[in-house]
Amino acid sequence: MSHLLDQPPFAARDDAALLAELNALTRWHLDGCADYRAVWPRWNGAATIDALPWLHVGAFKHGAWRTSGESMKHQRTLASSSTGGSASRIALDEKSSALQARSSGAILAELLGPEQRPLVILDDVRSLQQRGEVSARVTAAMSLRPLASEMHFVVSAAATPDAVDWSRLAAVCATHRRLLVYGFTWMLWTAWATAAIPAALRDSLAAARVDFVHSGGWKKLEALRVGRDEFDRALLATVGPGSSVLDFYGLVEQVGILYPLCSAGFRHVPRWAAAIVRDPWTLEPLVGEPGMLQLLNPLAHGAPYHSVLTEDLGRIASGACPCGRAGQRFEFLGRVPKAEVRGCANV
Amino acid sequence: MSDLLLRFRGVGGDCLVALGYDLEQRLAQWEQLRRQMVRGVPPEFTRDEWAYLAGFLGRDSLLAPFARSFGERAEGATRLCALYRPRGAIAIWLPNNVSLLGPLLLVMASFTNAPLLVKSGSRADDLAEAFVRYAVERLEDGELRRYLAERVVLGRFGRDDPRNADMAAQAAVRIVFGTDAAAQAVHAHAHPVDSVGISFADHSSEAWVEADALDDQRLATLLRVFAIYGTAGCTSPRRLVLIGGNEADCRRLRDRLLELWPATLKRDVPMHVASQNVLRLQLAAAAGWDARLCARNAAVLAAGTMALSAPGGPMTLAIVGAEAAAAAAAALPASIQTIGHILREPAAAHWLALLAGTRVKRWVPVAEMHHFGPVWDGHNFWAQLFEQTALGT
Repeated sequence: MSHLLDQPPFAARDDAALLAELNALTRWHLDGCADYRAVWPRWNGAATIDALPWLHVGAFKHGAWRTSGESMKHQRTLASSSTGGSASRIALDEKSSALQARSSGAILAELLGPEQRPLVILDDVRSLQQRGEVSARVTAAMSLRPLASEMHFVVSAAATPDAVDWSRLAAVCATHRRLLVYGFTWMLWTAWATAAIPAALRDSLAAARVDFVHSGGWKKLEALRVGRDEFDRALLATVGPGSSVLDFYGLVEQVGILYPLCSAGFRHVPRWAAAIVRDPWTLEPLVGEPGMLQLLNPLAHGAPYHSVLTEDLGRIASGACPCGRAGQRFEFLGRVPKAEVRGCANV
Repeated sequence: MSDLLLRFRGVGGDCLVALGYDLEQRLAQWEQLRRQMVRGVPPEFTRDEWAYLAGFLGRDSLLAPFARSFGERAEGATRLCALYRPRGAIAIWLPNNVSLLGPLLLVMASFTNAPLLVKSGSRADDLAEAFVRYAVERLEDGELRRYLAERVVLGRFGRDDPRNADMAAQAAVRIVFGTDAAAQAVHAHAHPVDSVGISFADHSSEAWVEADALDDQRLATLLRVFAIYGTAGCTSPRRLVLIGGNEADCRRLRDRLLELWPATLKRDVPMHVASQNVLRLQLAAAAGWDARLCARNAAVLAAGTMALSAPGGPMTLAIVGAEAAAAAAAALPASIQTIGHILREPAAAHWLALLAGTRVKRWVPVAEMHHFGPVWDGHNFWAQLFEQTALGT
């Protein structure tokens, strides 16, 4: 168990403790995963966090990475797709799932308060059994489970997110004055912020304190020319005083870790995780310059997804954050731009 | 004899070719465009693509299809055995990851003077359209400019678009670049019964080298050829086969190529390519390859054996040994197209005998692997743009 989880998430990090856990976890994966050992055959311990091995995020779309070992019990496989199409597959296990639930619970409790409340998910319950982008949404929603007293999926068809079951939401509002609402960013906009909410429900919501939580990125909203301020204003206009909007960044290859966006525009890294930015052409670590984000945490035991080089771009910020949170933080700068490699014929 | 009826001397006698335009004038107009092209590279093209295209417009290059198909220009009274005339409208389906094929094919097909219907891939950078636009803007008024402006129709649409059927219905010749399925779909459209269908479907290529024939200059050429498309083209070397080499030899060859890369290829690859190369390095290692990243993550060079599954990746070159040429031939993929060679005696009888037992379509120096010509995928497609009248004289 990671002792780092015993501390509040956004505080100064104990680098030595994190490094020790990550070194031990890396050794665990090298011993239990032959493919991983083939990728890092000569690794023999890291003296700094940025010297730890990693896997490129795309590796999880190309093979079943799985670590075996004493008492390891694999459960299910998380599958999610990226915009590009093919699915990442992450082998979950009992031990990691417990750690990941503790992690996301602690992060969310710090940001939203520890009270349990109904969780309203703007998605179709059938997405739970599906793969692809839909299951990525549900995976993100499930990270809020530690704060949920009950869960309500209120969209009847994921393909048409404007089909919200308002009567179900009205029933929840009738008995609760505090709600947690999760949706992918564009779904919250489409299904809630710009939706025609029935008048009676609108009155109930105006008396409720709602914490909206969203993730998934702004790409679709950029196309609609919707900015963050307009997005937040539209959501908050539908609910009562004390409500909030929380945007977090996360990926299924780092399940259990949420990187919330603070009021100063930075993504904060919990003290049991680390972010490194690397030069795409040299892989050298960068500080203050943009590059590819590498994300690490000591929660992943069933497969070597504890240290992942993503295809997201970021910039590590130094100094104290104006928002007051301590610990590491970064700016999220979008995805690595893609273009097809030219060829003379067919592949 | 009419200036528009040209005489060529072939193997079995002379033939006449009815072009319907003045060949010398047409060549001069392409040359005029070529001179314009050296002044700058349009944004749609890379510098290498533009340089190759400009070189392709040289007189010798443009006349090469005539020589390969009909023989050398001739005068006199040798027995005439054939008259060739263009079949008519040509429809061309280009693949999604096309680069220069569109412009090159368009230039070659222009010598038929037949209407051209060109469909670019719906996701492709449309270099054919960019090239025609460039040419029409810069050519002086004349036959070639009018031909490109009025008889060449370019479109970009998907495989389900009804215009595909229209193209097939109108064309005397259908030329399809793409997957096997794409070619089958095109030829399944209703088409004139006497039309000709030409398919350039899934193919791959290799480079074969002998240690004794290698030097740094030739290795640098190999790197340059590989770097143009990586493994993404049908003429790209997906595998470098070291004839007579073992695994240790392959690792040494890989290491020398790694040393030569920075001085040979100085431009950075795009960020996503660098990233994907990092991924491919790890996947190759997991699959058993001894892989290394080239300078600035520009490519992956993976040493291994033929028994390993292909490492994959658009910029990953597998380097494997074959104890003898016969072993290399036995391991050729069924879809083999080109073998680029760096060998001591590539024209030696034993090589040609070996080739005779394979499905290899092109056996060329490594430097010429990407050179496009009238003979492609095992037949002279350019000659098929003409129909033949047998002459008894």
